[in-house]
Amino acid sequence: MTKNKLYSLVLIACSAGFIYLLYHLYYSESSQYSVCMIKNVTGFPCPSCGTTRAVQLMFQWHFIDSVMMNPFGIIISAILTLLPFWVVIDLILKRDTFLKFYKQSEIILRQKKIAIPLIILVILNWIWNIIKLI
Amino acid sequence: MESQKVDLFMMMNAKHFESYHLSAIREKLIQMDESKWPMVQSLQLKDPTTSLIISIVGGGSLGIDRFYIGDTGMGIGKLLTCGGLGIWTIIDWFLIMGATREKNMEMFQNALY
Repeated sequence: MTKNKLYSLVLIACSAGFIYLLYHLYYSESSQYSVCMIKNVTGFPCPSCGTTRAVQLMFQWHFIDSVMMNPFGIIISAILTLLPFWVVIDLILKRDTFLKFYKQSEIILRQKKIAIPLIILVILNWIWNIIKLI
Repeated sequence: MESQKVDLFMMMNAKHFESYHLSAIREKLIQMDESKWPMVQSLQLKDPTTSLIISIVGGGSLGIDRFYIGDTGMGIGKLLTCGGLGIWTIIDWFLIMGATREKNMEMFQNALY
């Protein structure tokens, strides 16, 4: 993973995220299909279904509703608000602190004692999502 | 290293790398010391076909294909966003084989340099 590739990916992903949030805010009340493939094919929600609504609630300061909708919303809204600034500051000052952070966190997350609890958390969230039928 | 062994390795593992990597890998292996042969053989190269199957059979929108090839960061990105709003999932059906081969090359380089 090179610096340019990672930074452009982060910027593209974050801007796409904001565009989708705006779109969802104004237009998608009536549509019955979601962007999630698993939900469209099987009818059951995937672990991250409901994240858009959770992020919306988070940006409207409804923390508890947001967590009840989907806990991933916290992570996504933190990423959406912080990462663009981090990346742009890195690019302006010509440093690579975010690249180093990304590589370091990949190494940490690959350790079994950290990866397995996280996988279990994701699966629990999936079960919770299916029960809630988001 | 003996060219016979190198050719054997190349024959067995050609599908794990991009075609433009192959000549560089061959050069590197021929110059390499004999004592590194066990290390080269024990490399756990990922199969591009397997990652494509994972990507198509539902692992794509959970990011499992990216986790499989060792791209943990992007895997988390896909997992948290329903496979990049479904778009990244479709893009990855076409990119994941190339990405797997690039990752294999990275692994090969990390092991030997």
